[in-house]
Amino acid sequence: MDEQDYTLFEDYLLKALSETEKEAFETRLSTDPAFKQRFNTYKELSAFLEHTFENEAASTDFKNNLKAISSKHFKKQQATKKGIQFKPWQYAMAASIALLIGITLFNKLSHPVYADYANYDSISLTVRGNEDGLLKTAENAFNKKDFAKAEVAFKELLLTDEKNSELQFYRGVTNIELNNFAMADWLLKGLKDGHSVYKTKATYYLALSKLKQKQYDAAVEILKTIPDEAEEHKLAQKLIKKLD
Amino acid sequence: MSEKKLHDDQKYIDGLVQNNAFIIEAIYDKFAPKVINYIKQNSGDSDQAQDIIQDTLITIYNQASEKKLELTCPFDAYFFLLCKRKWLNELKKTSNKEVTIKEDILYKGEDAHELAFETDLYGEKHALFTEMFNKLGTACKELLAATFKIKSMEEVAESLGVTYAYARKKKSLCIGKLTELVRESPKFNLLNK
Repeated sequence: MDEQDYTLFEDYLLKALSETEKEAFETRLSTDPAFKQRFNTYKELSAFLEHTFENEAASTDFKNNLKAISSKHFKKQQATKKGIQFKPWQYAMAASIALLIGITLFNKLSHPVYADYANYDSISLTVRGNEDGLLKTAENAFNKKDFAKAEVAFKELLLTDEKNSELQFYRGVTNIELNNFAMADWLLKGLKDGHSVYKTKATYYLALSKLKQKQYDAAVEILKTIPDEAEEHKLAQKLIKKLD
Repeated sequence: MSEKKLHDDQKYIDGLVQNNAFIIEAIYDKFAPKVINYIKQNSGDSDQAQDIIQDTLITIYNQASEKKLELTCPFDAYFFLLCKRKWLNELKKTSNKEVTIKEDILYKGEDAHELAFETDLYGEKHALFTEMFNKLGTACKELLAATFKIKSMEEVAESLGVTYAYARKKKSLCIGKLTELVRESPKFNLLNK
């Protein structure tokens, strides 16, 4: 294949050919099938590359989100399936995990931890006199710190009330508690970038989520975006100081 | 095609493109169990089902975000057919013996089959293009990545320390090389039958 043909393909796609060159090119396309086929592949590849590189960041985000949701779903499935029988090597593994937890706890002493800064109060989602079943379940479960149950209820509630920022916020907190960080961060980031009354609260908790994930730099960056007049500002500053 | 009405389930396709965690969860809750059952009944296990479902959703995401993907049938049928195809391909790859399939779920309707076929073809091409791109030399890979990320060819030329004319020519030659690699591969001819 002539190198010049590829230069021609590119110029044609970039609309950089003169009127006569363009006509000659199109005539060749309609009379030379091999030329046309090559051009079609070239065009397809050009579109593929353009999309792949432009969409790289979004695509990575999607895959991470997908992976997190997928493993959550399959874990849940297996958990409900059968009781667990331990084999000897699993005891060894359990022992090393226990050791690891010990080490982690020890490490925690040197860093501020999530639990010290998460100080949400009991919530009240139901309007007096209106005891909506599912809302009540969510509220009770959350207040009793039964987060697994709260999560199920929030999820269900949000299916019919997708844009409810209060539900989104508490589902976000619930997911931090459950260590479902992908879901927590996604919800809280949505609120942080939005304009609801939960905007700064969500920003603060997004930072706490990062703290719990030990992404200290990310936590600081997020905390810095909390404005001076916000209720959470003082706490945020305190945490930044500890983290620095 | 253009006459056909968009199905309400288009929301699942749009939700995937927008990386909407609610929608992705809903897909798992509503549509995954059937696929998992199917794979388990046909020589597979839960881990394999997890991979098949994940790969299928990535293919749908890629197609829908690069080209338009308009669903004219229920998502359920479309998704199930795609997962099934992928699983059968997987079985063929790993075992030489004839595979017997328990066929208890059948979908009528041309739309689902046609859409699943198109997505499948897209996925195969996407995989082939990626494979061939990785075969290019480092210089070409870098130049193409820069070209499509930076957009302005002038800036690309500057960042690579070459002239504008050279960068543009080089870009066309690199895509040309890729064109040849793709067209020479046996798989390409299979896909373009």
